[in-house]
Amino acid sequence: MSIQEQYRSRAKELLREGTVKMVIGYGAGTTPLRRRPIFITSPDDADRLVLDAACRTNLAGYLLREGLLADQKSVAVFLTPDGVRTINILAAESQLATEQVIVLGFQIDGENARQLEGTRVADFSGIIAERKKKRKEQPSHEVARKLEQMTSVERFSFWEGEFSRCIKCYACRAACPMCWCRRCVVDNNQPQWVNTSSHTLGNLEWNLVRAFHLAGRCVECGNCSEACPVNIPLHLLNRRMTEEVLTAFDYYPGADEHQEPVLASFRKDDPETFIL
Amino acid sequence: MSEPFEPKIVAFVCTYCTYAGADLAGTSRLKYPPNVRIVRLPCTGRISPMFILKAFQKGADGVLVSGCHPGDCHFDHGNYHARRRWTAFNALLQFTGVPEERVKFSWISAAEGIKFAELIESITEEIRTAGPFEQYHKLIAETGSAASV
Ligand code: SF4
Ligand code: SF4
Repeated sequence: MSIQEQYRSRAKELLREGTVKMVIGYGAGTTPLRRRPIFITSPDDADRLVLDAACRTNLAGYLLREGLLADQKSVAVFLTPDGVRTINILAAESQLATEQVIVLGFQIDGENARQLEGTRVADFSGIIAERKKKRKEQPSHEVARKLEQMTSVERFSFWEGEFSRCIKCYACRAACPMCWCRRCVVDNNQPQWVNTSSHTLGNLEWNLVRAFHLAGRCVECGNCSEACPVNIPLHLLNRRMTEEVLTAFDYYPGADEHQEPVLASFRKDDPETFIL
Repeated sequence: MSEPFEPKIVAFVCTYCTYAGADLAGTSRLKYPPNVRIVRLPCTGRISPMFILKAFQKGADGVLVSGCHPGDCHFDHGNYHARRRWTAFNALLQFTGVPEERVKFSWISAAEGIKFAELIESITEEIRTAGPFEQYHKLIAETGSAASV
């Protein structure tokens, strides 16, 4: 039985026996290489589920849709290990209860989707610990390394060029499962910290605020870069932040559901090389 | 002859330590450059990175953020939280090309009037040498609004 078939029947079973009220998964998209999120509530519809290497979107954010989990019932979601990390963070930030989440875990290896054992987020802690180790050894992005070699003036120009194209559509924010604030700080106008106009200054401010607010929370799922209509390399900013919290605080976002958010906790011996 | 460049520097300080240190510098009649505009806050824990962006948005050439030494926070641990935030934000600023000399962080206690005066002296000199934050000022000019600090 193909992995897709296996997951379809598992979804069917979960719905039929009433373990979950909904399965959030991937369905066929507008082109053969696209998938779109689908929300299945009847066992008969489980055959619409697709699972293959094109399933790249992190679906965890859909759990936060208004009222979805309010009835205490469970929902099953297709999640990669980064998706599971997302759930851990959302739980640590009191946005959901992990008891209500059934994980349909999978991983993309090259051209194939592979099954991951486990039902609850806690079942994946081994895989996540492994990923942390790997992430620490992973070199920074090639472009990031080039940027670090540049003078600050050149770096500023690089980002000025990138941010000048931003149209402030906020698709990056809408696509990010971690951007769950009801009211984003950039929409605040009393006081208005960030220019809401989409000139380069406003775009720079927005992108700095976005990257900073995701420091230590981003799971590097890629939803934002994928959503950006003008291809701003948001992943470079996110990755830089991840590397910072990893090296400075040995912190890997979403390690487990009890991990305190990195910027809401501290150690007395945190490094402070740059403070005069 | 053109006027020599005088940088505009905004200092966000906590009221219990650095502000008191600045006060001590004043009452001790210590001289330091008048380039710094001090914004007093209850605690470094209250100093959001967005304050720094706001200062630059309004045309600052440099920013100082300063508070109590670790262990001395009036609220016990506001500065420990602030330190983590600064670490992440500082990395982000450097990565996006905001020069290191334009944003400084320090611990200055209520007893360190001399440290305050000397630090203001040295960062003012450093930014004076670096010149106006032209790359940022250009972005401000493009918005059509006049910068003022
Ligand atoms: S910032 Fe981007 S990569 Fe990070 S969690 Fe949000 S959508 Fe995913
Ligand atoms: S998705 Fe891209 S263009 Fe839209 S607001 Fe985000 S960075 Fe700007």
